[in-house]
Amino acid sequence: MMNCLDFRRQVGAEPFADDALLETHRRQCPACAHYQDELRAMDGLIARSLAVPATRITRRTPQPRFALATGRPRLFAIAASIAVGLAVGLVLLVSAPRASIAREVIGHVAHEAATMAATVPITPGALAGVLDPEGTRLRPGIGDVTFAARCVYDGQVVPHLVVRTPQGTVTVLLLRHREIAEPLQIEGQGFAGVVLPAPRGSIAIVGQGLANLDGIAQQVFEAVDWGA
Amino acid sequence: MNRGDGETDRSRRFGDLCENLRPDLLRFAFWLGRDRQLAEDVVQEAMLRAWKSFEALADEGKAKSWLLTIVRREFARSFERKRFEVADLDALVAAEAEVLAVEDDGELAAMRTALFRLDDEYREPLVLQVLMGYSTQEIATMMGLQRGAVLTRLFRARARLRRELGLGPEPAP
Repeated sequence: MMNCLDFRRQVGAEPFADDALLETHRRQCPACAHYQDELRAMDGLIARSLAVPATRITRRTPQPRFALATGRPRLFAIAASIAVGLAVGLVLLVSAPRASIAREVIGHVAHEAATMAATVPITPGALAGVLDPEGTRLRPGIGDVTFAARCVYDGQVVPHLVVRTPQGTVTVLLLRHREIAEPLQIEGQGFAGVVLPAPRGSIAIVGQGLANLDGIAQQVFEAVDWGA
Repeated sequence: MNRGDGETDRSRRFGDLCENLRPDLLRFAFWLGRDRQLAEDVVQEAMLRAWKSFEALADEGKAKSWLLTIVRREFARSFERKRFEVADLDALVAAEAEVLAVEDDGELAAMRTALFRLDDEYREPLVLQVLMGYSTQEIATMMGLQRGAVLTRLFRARARLRRELGLGPEPAP
């Protein structure tokens, strides 16, 4: 039997730990459950705080590291390198986003694959702690949410859920910051899924060996209330 | 595949990894050293070292932790080389105010400052757990610590942040 001190020590180190003893104590002790909810909410704030845009780290007044040559040849060299840079950038802009989304989503899901093994439904409070900051809700009836966390993805903090539906388990990423024009099928590292345009950004739904991925994705999509 | 094709493929794969992971590496280095210039320099050096030993990376699925480990080592080397003086925390916060600033979100700004003030030994595992998504066992491996030591540091990190932010008391660790 776990006591309050042990519970608080453990969740203080791992607020989202998936552990049957913790869950049992949590159900029996509202004060500890509240404490864990506070920690989970604080972790959301920590994640948002740490997710400093990389561009802000690198965007500074450039400091010359070498003495610059002066005169026209130098200007031509600068102009030429800008032109090459623009051309390369244009090619990347046109071709990269779709491949990039697929790689990023699959990469994130693969890295967090262990979360898909969770079987114990999380509490409504824990789910709200993850979804509330964006005003998002999950309508009841879709299935059990067995994992919910605010993850850093693409430099943003996004809700990451694992939902056990009657037809299979899927990882769901709510990507408010990422708009796409049309549905995108993604596959890799043993996972398959879709990224769908959503009322706010997009939503990625990914699973393993699902017979009816499109059907599950549609159900999950309809269960998300994106709020205002 | 001839040698030229192999080299091109190697360059392309490495380029893809860098494109994907550089933002995370920069953030990690920034929170490690709390200095943008240092973060950029460390990541740049780490990329060079990674390129030289890219063939040693057997599983590209583990590229992120491999690169983070290289960044950690490079950061330690920078400290040895430059022998940074322990800076005044207020001066550190002021120097990086541009990064820490958050418009219209006092809670976020307060947390960023509190994280900046957190001791290195507590900040690093917290960054690896919350920002990078690693398990406590993975963090222990990366930092060369026992898992129990990582758990203690994470507990204390959150306890200090709660104190800094005026939240409730903690049980003794």
